[in-house]
Amino acid sequence: MKHFIDTIKSTYGKYKVIVWIICSLLLLIFPALIPSNYVMGVVCRILFYATLAGSLNVINGYSGQMCIGHAGFFCIGAYIEAILATQYHINFWVLLLVGGIITAIIGGLIALPTLRMQGIYLSIITLGFSEVVRLIALNWTSVTGGAMGVKGIKSPTLLGFTLSSPKQYYYIFLVIGIVFIFVTNRIINSRTGSAWISIREDELAARSLGIEIKKYKILNFMYGAFWAGVMGAAYAPYTRYIDSTYFSLDEGFNILSMVIIGGQGTLIGPILGAAVVNSLTELLRSFSEWRMVAYAVLIIAMMWLRPQGLVGASDSVLAGDKMKKKKIKVLAKEEK
Amino acid sequence: MKKLVALFLTLSLMVVTLAGCSTGTEESSTSGSTSGESNTSAQTDGKTITLGLTAPITGTHAEYGVGFQAAVEIAMDEINNAGGVNGYNLAVEVMDSKGEPKETSDIVRQFAENDNIQAIIGDFTSSCSMAAAPIVDEAGIVLLSPTASNPDYPGMSDYTFTVMNNQSTEAPWFARAVVGQYIGAKSVAVMWLNTDWGIATHQYLLQGFEEAGITVVADESYAENETDFSSVISKLKSTDPECVVILDQGNVPTVINQIRGTGWDVQLATLGPGSSEQLIQLCGENAEGLIVDTPSFLTPENEEAVPFIDAFKEKTGYAPTDHSLCAYNSVYLLAESIKAIGDGEITREAIKDNLKTAQMDGLAGHVEFNEEGGCSRELLILQVENGKYVVKEDYGYGVE
Repeated sequence: MKHFIDTIKSTYGKYKVIVWIICSLLLLIFPALIPSNYVMGVVCRILFYATLAGSLNVINGYSGQMCIGHAGFFCIGAYIEAILATQYHINFWVLLLVGGIITAIIGGLIALPTLRMQGIYLSIITLGFSEVVRLIALNWTSVTGGAMGVKGIKSPTLLGFTLSSPKQYYYIFLVIGIVFIFVTNRIINSRTGSAWISIREDELAARSLGIEIKKYKILNFMYGAFWAGVMGAAYAPYTRYIDSTYFSLDEGFNILSMVIIGGQGTLIGPILGAAVVNSLTELLRSFSEWRMVAYAVLIIAMMWLRPQGLVGASDSVLAGDKMKKKKIKVLAKEEK
Repeated sequence: MKKLVALFLTLSLMVVTLAGCSTGTEESSTSGSTSGESNTSAQTDGKTITLGLTAPITGTHAEYGVGFQAAVEIAMDEINNAGGVNGYNLAVEVMDSKGEPKETSDIVRQFAENDNIQAIIGDFTSSCSMAAAPIVDEAGIVLLSPTASNPDYPGMSDYTFTVMNNQSTEAPWFARAVVGQYIGAKSVAVMWLNTDWGIATHQYLLQGFEEAGITVVADESYAENETDFSSVISKLKSTDPECVVILDQGNVPTVINQIRGTGWDVQLATLGPGSSEQLIQLCGENAEGLIVDTPSFLTPENEEAVPFIDAFKEKTGYAPTDHSLCAYNSVYLLAESIKAIGDGEITREAIKDNLKTAQMDGLAGHVEFNEEGGCSRELLILQVENGKYVVKEDYGYGVE
């Protein structure tokens, strides 16, 4: 097995540029290869959740804060886009940023009182926050349409083209996803990212090293919320109708499950998690009533065998054996 | 060993994932037919029109989704046994939306791309139906929801229809015809449940009273989980109205028992529960004289409804509600539309065009669509007499 991975790695190393070009080309022409709108719809959902789960992973996976109310941030972004686009006819591309920024500010405000909280207490607060947001959306009828929701959200246009079907929307989700991965990768490898990881590993130690815990925790929450807001803003015109039922706690747990199944604290994890969860639920459709049971059993089995997620650290095939080597070194040192 | 199992599981998941991208469509059509197609007698020469049904078979609304499936199958069995429509048998492909708009979107896309599916019935909630509206609009296939009551839904596309009326028609009718005309009250007290449904209905009801020239002497709301209504009741009692209208569903029996418990013998009318058997069981003698309106009278006392109720109970094990009846009617309306096409080719477009003028008379009275594709149903007025609902006024009462 190890030999196999090594072969792949060395081949990849040799033809890095070619592999990248082929991959990008494949991604670009993908919609042309798939004739079905339905399959493209599932692909869009995977791309969409990959970024959304990725943004939650920034909070849960990298700084070790336990947020389970991510649907709340998603909801805020979606409603901002929906309301501003239908009432004030503001351009979609502007609203992507606006949605993200306002959600980030709200994320910052939520982070403030929760700085002293950790683990399950923080979880409960984010859970409550998510419900509060949903209930505001349900009851503030004059602004959000209440139970009637917001309908007639216009599809975005680019250079005169209207992007409405999943085939066209694929590119929007793809570009946002790539930007997200690129930016997040840079941040994770920067001073800020190191600060987040050090907070996750040991808050006390991080503080003693002079890391401003408060600042980085707030920053972390804001960054995660920003992308959830962007995804919300991108999602509203995709469905063209939203109401509060889209943003239930179930949705929050759904996103969380993708992060955990894929593997927390890795960039690729949430992407894989989104792909696995969304395609599994589609493929198990033929089980009818037993679908969610079959899905749950698979998840339990997976968590039992790989509690760290599919690509989460250590001896994962997909994560390569980077961590394993380190582990062995550490073990070897200890033995000495 | 453990690692090998983990590896195998991971790889198989990946393979499944990849396979899903390429073979999703073919699989869907066969998988649906194995899970839910109702194959009935082949009296016709094997020509079949397949309809798609998207409904919450699992999840919070599962009771209604399963009811949809049962009702649709009953209607199709009846139609097929009677020789089908224009020589075609009807069949249904059922898919579970879990009551989630995202799922409905996926299912409807799948149906839209399946050339065998001529029209779609569903979904249960307005959110789900509205999420699917742009998709059917683009694909050009009928989406007939049995129960979506959001007034915005039918107008979203030429292809969106619903057979459920919304409170903007029922509540004003209740105010004018039931309270004003049938009961003949000049002053009325209202107590209502403070939820989104209650707020919307209450608003339409008050408008109706105003237009009918009926004075509202007291108007009190309460929260969903309240159990003691004595303060609200004593407030209403002090204004001495001719009739008390209760706007609620689940709390109605409690409210009635508490009103009668104070020894107040006022005329009661309620908008919401319809002909609920539970209400009579819980209220006993206190329910005597209560007036309700209902779009359909699905109790064993209604002889016409007995075959449907029995067939439904056999399939699901519980009694049907008006929601299931709406799904049953949806099939008949689509059958009417197909019948109207006559010798012409059965296309999605033709079904849409003919559905606009389709109408039927059945267990739910006269049903036809308005210009938008919505529906204003006629209602029955029932009164409780000797522990049973008795139809006092038939469909069409008080229609302007």
